[in-house]
Amino acid sequence: MNRRTALLAVPVLFAGGCFAGGGGTAESGSDRLRVALNFPPVAALSPWTDDALLLTRMGAAETLVTFDDSGAAEPQLAQSWEFTDDRTALVELRDDVVFHDGTPMDAEAVAGSLNAAAGADPGVRVLRDVGLVATAVDEDTVQLQAAQADPLLVQRLGAPSLVVLSPDAYADPTAPDPVGHGTGPYEITELQGAQSATLDAAADHWGGTPAADGVDVRFVDDADARTSSLRAGEVDVVQGVPIAALATLGDDQRVVTTALPRVTALQLNTAGGVFADAGLRAAAVAAVDAEPVVDGVFEGQADVAPGLLTDDTLGAAARSTPTLPTAADPAGASIRLATYDDRPELPEAAAVLAEQLRAAGFTVEVVVQTYATLEPDLLAGAFDAVLGSRLTLLDTGDPVGYLQTDYTCDGGYNLARLCDPDVDAAVTAAAALTDPRERRQAAADIEAQVLSTGAVVPVLHEQSRTGVTQGVQGVGEDPFERQVVTVATTAGR
Amino acid sequence: MTVALGAPTARRPAPAVLRRLPRVAGVLGALVGTALLVGALPWLSGVDPARSVLRAREEEGAPDAAALDAVRTQLDLPTNPVAGTLGFLGRLLTGDLGTSWVSRTPVVDTVLPALGISLTVAGTASLVALVLAGLLTVPALLRAADGRLRGGGVGAAVGGALSALPEFVLAVLLVAVFAVGWGLLPTTGFTGPEHLVLPVLALGVPAAGVLARLLAGAVAATAGESWVGTWRSAGVRRTTVAAALGRRAVGVVVPQVLLLLVGTLGAAAVVEAVFDIPGLGGIALGAALAQDVPVVQAAVVLLVAIGLLVGGGGVLAHRLLLGPALTGSGFTPETAAAGRRPQRAALAVATVLVVAVVAGLLRDPDAQDVGQRLAAPSWAHPFGADPLGRDVLARFGHGALVSVGLAVLLAALALVVGVAVGLLGCGDRAGVADVLNALPAVVTGIVVAAVAGPGLLSACVAVSLVAWIPLAVHTRTLAAEARASGFHVAALTGGAGRWHVLRRHLLPVVGPPVVRHALVRVPHASLALAGLSFLGLGAGAESPEWGRALAETTGYLERAPWVVAAPALGLVLLGVVAALADPAPER
Repeated sequence: MNRRTALLAVPVLFAGGCFAGGGGTAESGSDRLRVALNFPPVAALSPWTDDALLLTRMGAAETLVTFDDSGAAEPQLAQSWEFTDDRTALVELRDDVVFHDGTPMDAEAVAGSLNAAAGADPGVRVLRDVGLVATAVDEDTVQLQAAQADPLLVQRLGAPSLVVLSPDAYADPTAPDPVGHGTGPYEITELQGAQSATLDAAADHWGGTPAADGVDVRFVDDADARTSSLRAGEVDVVQGVPIAALATLGDDQRVVTTALPRVTALQLNTAGGVFADAGLRAAAVAAVDAEPVVDGVFEGQADVAPGLLTDDTLGAAARSTPTLPTAADPAGASIRLATYDDRPELPEAAAVLAEQLRAAGFTVEVVVQTYATLEPDLLAGAFDAVLGSRLTLLDTGDPVGYLQTDYTCDGGYNLARLCDPDVDAAVTAAAALTDPRERRQAAADIEAQVLSTGAVVPVLHEQSRTGVTQGVQGVGEDPFERQVVTVATTAGR
Repeated sequence: MTVALGAPTARRPAPAVLRRLPRVAGVLGALVGTALLVGALPWLSGVDPARSVLRAREEEGAPDAAALDAVRTQLDLPTNPVAGTLGFLGRLLTGDLGTSWVSRTPVVDTVLPALGISLTVAGTASLVALVLAGLLTVPALLRAADGRLRGGGVGAAVGGALSALPEFVLAVLLVAVFAVGWGLLPTTGFTGPEHLVLPVLALGVPAAGVLARLLAGAVAATAGESWVGTWRSAGVRRTTVAAALGRRAVGVVVPQVLLLLVGTLGAAAVVEAVFDIPGLGGIALGAALAQDVPVVQAAVVLLVAIGLLVGGGGVLAHRLLLGPALTGSGFTPETAAAGRRPQRAALAVATVLVVAVVAGLLRDPDAQDVGQRLAAPSWAHPFGADPLGRDVLARFGHGALVSVGLAVLLAALALVVGVAVGLLGCGDRAGVADVLNALPAVVTGIVVAAVAGPGLLSACVAVSLVAWIPLAVHTRTLAAEARASGFHVAALTGGAGRWHVLRRHLLPVVGPPVVRHALVRVPHASLALAGLSFLGLGAGAESPEWGRALAETTGYLERAPWVVAAPALGLVLLGVVAALADPAPER
């Protein structure tokens, strides 16, 4: 009998149980916003990683400039700016900004914040090879200087990794701590590991009094889990509702949709295999029909791509029609088409495209893996075709950078392995342009040049879907997905 | 009775310290070995860890040479796996688990809380599984006590059906019904006991199915022993007989429960994701994909240590439950008589399955019609259409060939290896099985994919690496009972050779229950294959294989239940057939 009791006691050890701390349940009656963001912090919210996006989405930290829909810089913490020469700019700061810890945001603090980012190791992406030096000129003016001529010097300030934190945030120079050190409408008071964060309204925010008393943020990786918690009324705002789950939303929930500068495109490997033949690339381009993908797989929650860049990005710039070589007969040529399942729509889209290519006479094998294990093979050109999703405006709101990394000989993410001297020359010339309108026209021309090689088939432009409960007002509709919780966001309870 | 004469478990006099020495060395070797294996992940996979770490920190952007160099210098990456692992072990001795390469925070802050959470979930789930399985077995126990039990009873069939339920489908279903639908329980998070209910059910119910089938088998086997008849004729109360039968049966499943506990600790990543539980499975998965070696090393070494500890505990528990009888010769295990009725039921279920499969085989599984996306069942599509408008019935039929074929093959392989190891292995201590059982599937998967390349064969290898373990432990448990039985001792005393004893006395007792166990695990093999597909292992991307189909379509469960129902029901029916099919010869 004793033995049996002892055995039964073993599981009782678990009954005490270990649970995650926090959870951020709001005390009843208070008007707090409950938000589920779409990935957990990878580095304790250090702005020098993707966590920077979480900081801006929570409304905890802000950058000097933001972007309009086309990606042009607009004032935020900076009031205005001017270039004094081709590598130097003077930035005038707002004079009414106070960090959450009470320190006023002056030129010294901003320069310190930018210089810390410039000195980060490994370097912050947006400042790579820039050699930025920031100096306080007077209390409200910061001088920025790059090592060489840099038309994007001010645009760079819009990158989330360059959010301005108070001097105390840099106590550990390798890992800035944004808790209590930002300028946004909400102050992070506590970060519970990679699970959740608690924020309180910053009463003296420069943009006015925040509409909610505070924000309880949860970081939920799984899109269906996020949607379930929205449907169950556990949160008010969730980022990234999957298309498959849209139909399950009830009367109490709706979705805020914003067109993104994000293209889903089929990259054809121009360096080897079947698609080294331009005629066969042209055959593939002709075979792809985006409509069934947009209407079927994406259920209309995307736009058929007129090119790589979106119409919003190009603005007034005119698109020229690409001229493709004559299509050759695939005659059963065997290709491998790779995609990743981290974005749930991609495998389905790949299956539809594969069927279209088969109908055109190709023999297609589809390979689906998780991105982390697939990337080395993608970059090594192990596949004939890759269906992927890509931001065309990344940190700087400028399309030329995307064309450089993705379609030039030395580009770091050239999945099509395109190496065309004409494209390279055009990209180099475009990168030196200072007038935003000229840059956009140049980008449109390069796009046509790239499409004329048949190296890539644009399929669709994606949209962001933020799920909210009916009462929620003022959620950020930002094509750069940086603003979710804003000063105006309220749960409407 | 001559207990000490020949039983293999007889103790030879040797100083205790000397006897323990190889065992301690083995445990240490296992820990160092797994740490080394994990430390070698970047070299095995051939992927530059600087790149995967950079990718984990920044999703977009180009991983150019300058950025990679910067990461490499910052991380101070070891030049070879041995150096890295020695560094890790050195730090471990001083109680330091190191710093994560990705987050640059102490590993201990991530891994220990996650371990606590996983222990809570897995422990409760194991307990629930045991209790549920026990409840399912009560009717069989009472019938056996009355001498009326034929075959495995109801528990066997229900157990077979439950065991085939895919955990992730069950998880999504539970959330949809109990959390979103009725609002009874929270959907996600893990901040209090109310968050424990649904994940524990999702993990515990399928496990209970397997345990119930094992219990049913054990009860049926024990019910055939002569003492049951003797006790009944002697007028011993029904409940007393049932309790005695139950105790014997529980002895068989307790080691399985402990295996389950350890196996769930690091391998529940999918269920953890559905409920957003910050457990060890998810952390191990993320860290393994990001090649965050310090985190994976810490997680795996902890898991393996727990595995070895609990594995040893399993052997001990079996001994405790059976008491001194195990070293004596008090048992008379006999092969149970096959029940006739269950076989007829199995035949009926199998017929339904075969008819559906044949009907599906006559149709085209690849024809897409996006306009028919998720179409409800109709004359044109009797089982409805999948997200690409493909006919679900056709895919069900064509998928069956791959799913059932592969699963049976894997189960057979696991059976052969499991029985061989269980019978021939040195048996009564924690060992390789416990180490493999504790390893998260993603680690095994990455290692196998690295060595053998992606593909279906590699997936089979990865699944086989662990599939034999429960069978080996089951075999070991049953063999221990058989070796302690009168006829075995008598045979040895009579001078019978090792092979003779094995063939004539051990296999006939051990064989049928373990074969039944292997059959119950057939659907698991299919699901395990699908679970590795994100690593590029397993059936091809457009294959209609059931596990793959389930993994791809579970998100549509609420909108188009028929898409999920076909393969899920297929697996459940397969489970019922497997549970009812009785390999024991008719007598």
